Amino acid sequence: MTARTTVDELGERALAGDRGALARLLTLIDDDAPGARAAAARIAGHAGRAWVVGVTGVPGSGKSTLVDALLGAWLAEGHTVAVVAIDPSSPVSGGAVLGDRIRMGANAADERVFIRSFSARGELGGLSRAARAAVDCFDACGFDRIVVETVGTGQSETAIVSLADTRVVVCPPGLGDEVQAIKAGTLEIADVLAVSKGDLPLAAQTARELRDMLLLKPRAAGEWRPQAIVVCALDGSGLDDLRTAMTAHRDAVGVGRRSNVGPGTSVARAMPPPSDNDGWRDRIAALVARDALCTTLGIAARGGGPGSAEVAMTVDRRHLNFNGVCHGGAIFALADSAFGLAANSHGPVASGIDAHITFQTAVAAGDTLVARAIEVQRSRRIGVYRIDVVRADIGGEMPVSSFTGTVYIRD
Amino acid sequence: MNDTAAPAFRPRVLVTKIGLDGHDRGSRIVAAACRDAGMEVIYTPPWQSIPAVVKLALEEDVDVIGISSLATDHLVVPKLMAALGDAGLGDVRVVVGGIVPENEERALVASGVRAVFHPGSTLDEITTRIRDYAGETRRARTGGEGAR
Amino acid sequence: MNAPADRSVAAASAHERWQREYREGVGDEREIANVSGIPVAPLYTAADRPPGRDAALGHPGQPDYTRGIYATMHRGRTWTQRQLVGLGTPADYNARLLALLERGATAVSLIPCNSVYRGLDADSVDLELLGTCGTVVNDAEHMARCLDGVDVARISCAMNDPSPFTLLAFMLVAAERRGIDWKQITGTSNQSDYLSHFVANHMFYRLALPGARRVLIDHIAWCRAHVPRWNPMSVVGQHMQQAGATPAEAMAFTLSTAVQNAEDCIARGMDPDEFLPRFTFFFDISMSFFEEIAKFRAGRRIWARLARERLGAKDERAWRFKFHAQTSGVDLTRQQPLNNIARVAAQAMAGIFGGLQSLHTDAYDEAYATPSEAGARIAIATQNILREEARLTDVIDPLGGSYYVESLTDAMEEKIVAIMTTVDDAGGMYKAVESGLVQRTIGASAMRFQQRVESGEQVVVGVNKYRADDDAEHRPPVERPDRDAMQRLRDAFVAAKARRPAAAVAGALDGLTRAAESKDGNLFAAVVDAARAGCSNEEICTRLRRDLGFGHPLVIV
Repeated sequence: MTARTTVDELGERALAGDRGALARLLTLIDDDAPGARAAAARIAGHAGRAWVVGVTGVPGSGKSTLVDALLGAWLAEGHTVAVVAIDPSSPVSGGAVLGDRIRMGANAADERVFIRSFSARGELGGLSRAARAAVDCFDACGFDRIVVETVGTGQSETAIVSLADTRVVVCPPGLGDEVQAIKAGTLEIADVLAVSKGDLPLAAQTARELRDMLLLKPRAAGEWRPQAIVVCALDGSGLDDLRTAMTAHRDAVGVGRRSNVGPGTSVARAMPPPSDNDGWRDRIAALVARDALCTTLGIAARGGGPGSAEVAMTVDRRHLNFNGVCHGGAIFALADSAFGLAANSHGPVASGIDAHITFQTAVAAGDTLVARAIEVQRSRRIGVYRIDVVRADIGGEMPVSSFTGTVYIRD
Repeated sequence: MNDTAAPAFRPRVLVTKIGLDGHDRGSRIVAAACRDAGMEVIYTPPWQSIPAVVKLALEEDVDVIGISSLATDHLVVPKLMAALGDAGLGDVRVVVGGIVPENEERALVASGVRAVFHPGSTLDEITTRIRDYAGETRRARTGGEGAR
Repeated sequence: MNAPADRSVAAASAHERWQREYREGVGDEREIANVSGIPVAPLYTAADRPPGRDAALGHPGQPDYTRGIYATMHRGRTWTQRQLVGLGTPADYNARLLALLERGATAVSLIPCNSVYRGLDADSVDLELLGTCGTVVNDAEHMARCLDGVDVARISCAMNDPSPFTLLAFMLVAAERRGIDWKQITGTSNQSDYLSHFVANHMFYRLALPGARRVLIDHIAWCRAHVPRWNPMSVVGQHMQQAGATPAEAMAFTLSTAVQNAEDCIARGMDPDEFLPRFTFFFDISMSFFEEIAKFRAGRRIWARLARERLGAKDERAWRFKFHAQTSGVDLTRQQPLNNIARVAAQAMAGIFGGLQSLHTDAYDEAYATPSEAGARIAIATQNILREEARLTDVIDPLGGSYYVESLTDAMEEKIVAIMTTVDDAGGMYKAVESGLVQRTIGASAMRFQQRVESGEQVVVGVNKYRADDDAEHRPPVERPDRDAMQRLRDAFVAAKARRPAAAVAGALDGLTRAAESKDGNLFAAVVDAARAGCSNEEICTRLRRDLGFGHPLVIV
């Protein structure tokens, strides 16, 4: 029996309702085992009926609690629900701790629920290739609601734009800088904004601010107008309003349109559709190999996606300034490298025309720095990127620097 | 990121506690160590029921289940082993780490537990062996294929 | 060379000579730092002390309390010997307790079964797990059996009883039925620190944070009125240190928690001079001998300042840092278990020199079992030996004035205050815990410690050095409670529940809901009423979880 036969067999058993077979198949797809991609493509042919809801939000935003509440409501209505939960992978080891499903306690035990956790495996933009395939598989196997839960860093999640039918962004209440950044980024992709922890006094105000920002965006006639809803998981208030808004969006744009970002089906967006799933990988690898400064400074690519990139550098003697700490120019170079890779990941040559950096923390020899670039906005000629540089510590990541850059795109 | 070579094998490991005990310093450290060793870890808080663990193991297609038992939780591990078998997950390797008296360790191994890690085991030892056992699980499932 | 003219020059050259000879003898050495990260030098002299600093140290019983909170310390009244006991059925517990009291223990402590912590009664749990780690106590009748023959009015109790303090409620009801006046009862709600449970010992986690916060303040207010000699607040550093916090972190986070709880009480309208004297603390004592002594001395000094300046207490009794300490369980090893006797002795000494008010010494087999009779006996004997043979308590604060101990106390104080400042910057301890800041800090320290052990930098005798062929000889098979006895207990309990007047039980549970829903109801009063009506631990916890929320403690890996 060849590997291909085994994979096909799993696919057939999955379509027939064998949960274990489906789980095994998802692993083979995740590992890109021989025959897996073909099997996934065949199964995708049966997909198209499910309502795919993307839920994203920064850690601590209350996203998982909200997903749990949605699960409860859908189960009560008799739906079958699959949850694809994606967590970022460690830039150092490639491993991951997948901790989303534990928040769905009682609902996770329901027979009509299937929860599957994925590591982003280095891809930024919030989704992994395997997770996309998982959505199709669940759809094909008869789950009529699929939640894709990702960690949003506050900037646009380009991949989830194309994958989900309805995108919910969970925003914690607050007025701090991170929340402002979240607001700026989420407005690009959210169909519905859920302001969580509705019991807190700031929640109503945050929702008001978001609505004000939404009003500033010009929209075409008939175009979906995103809504901001305050939700409280503790007592369930706002959940019905949230579901009403989500349903209204679904009814307006339909389901099953994944990967079809065409005119008339969604909000016209300034970003081009994501390039072919793996083209970015080769492009980024090739660019880094050609970059003399990256080689000189020891900057290595760690991952990325269409419009995003992640690089890392371990600070040593040659990066130090006259005070014995890391030279700001070295940090700039690291951030700028991520910037350049992200901007050039789509293919057309993009040149930096403006860049700003702030430094928050001193960095010493021996520290490992990671820079992550996200595409904030991109039109035919201009792209705006935001790069965060962090220091990878044992207990977590410490913010080191923020960088924004603009590129001019040549044909 | 090399698409033409053999697929990367990333062990999928569940680290959990069943039973009543709530001390989870050890299980958290082991979960972090597995992540730092490149594995994908599903980590749960304590007090998981056996049916919940079985469902999770099935949906997440885990290769190894690591049970942390610092008090007496290991006493219900044989029930877990039986439930895994009933669910068709008999190939999944189960390891127990923590405080297990010698006389009770024998019962665990007899019920199918692959290994018991006592205090003093290093994280390196634990993660290396978990990786090996994950390979065993994969080979058992695919009849030799899929595990590199 | 001329003979030096004055003493300081002579001292300087003596020091230089010592430095030279030391370096010649020791060669190149790495800097040593203690667990909290404070560098430790090979020698401390008068030159390390700021002039006049130690002369200004207060006397025992007076500000700044560095040398002790009472004038007499252990010369006046020795520390409370409160040994933890918990296993099997209430009858089993009672037998072990009476034996301990006879052998010199002066206080009662009870460890309930893990099922009780989970809010589950005997009929909701696998029989194998019942009574293995603690005593099964599900209602007031069980508690009465536990305390048969014990004069509750004369002996201090600690029930290891987290929010909503059902075990205390059961004890009060049992006492009431015996005609004992609550005003005479003494003891401590030694697991009242809900924040430490959320952060570091999830075993005790029972209610979601906001609900637990309210129950605590209700509990403090109610006890003041009805059981005035009871200490309703024990702020716990032990859980965090056992979870991996450094000694400085444990002290800092504990003091921050005390400040948070005190501020919550003040916001409720209580007077700090009234409730602070009944705040007690509960700490770990690890193997880092001098560091622990300095930790406690610094803690005393900082608390006195906080109570007076930050919380506005004017009564001296409110400034006193009273603490119970337990020798650290995570330092004990399964390998060569008899070595643990030496470890516990060293830890206990550090606690005694640190000026504790109450001490629990672990049994040597605690690393892998609930303590045996022999282990429990040796644990108490250790305390008696240190006090009466080694006569450690003849002198109050005997290490006071030591160049090293005073320098280390100052350094620990500085470190502790710095950590407390990060908590303040996060908006106070409640917010710091809610956001996960405290958990992340502790997790990082735990991982660092593990790495030091694995690299050999931190020696653990018998584990990474001085290993011997593993001797299971001193690890006899662990005894489990008699299953038949557990089955009988469970059956009797189920039968007793069936005989209760159902209306009274339902009414009392509804009383909990009414208290939860009203802004002014006292939740603990409702728990006591429920205990009186015969409600069980599971019934009370389930109802309060429904009304106040349960959820998960924040999980950070």
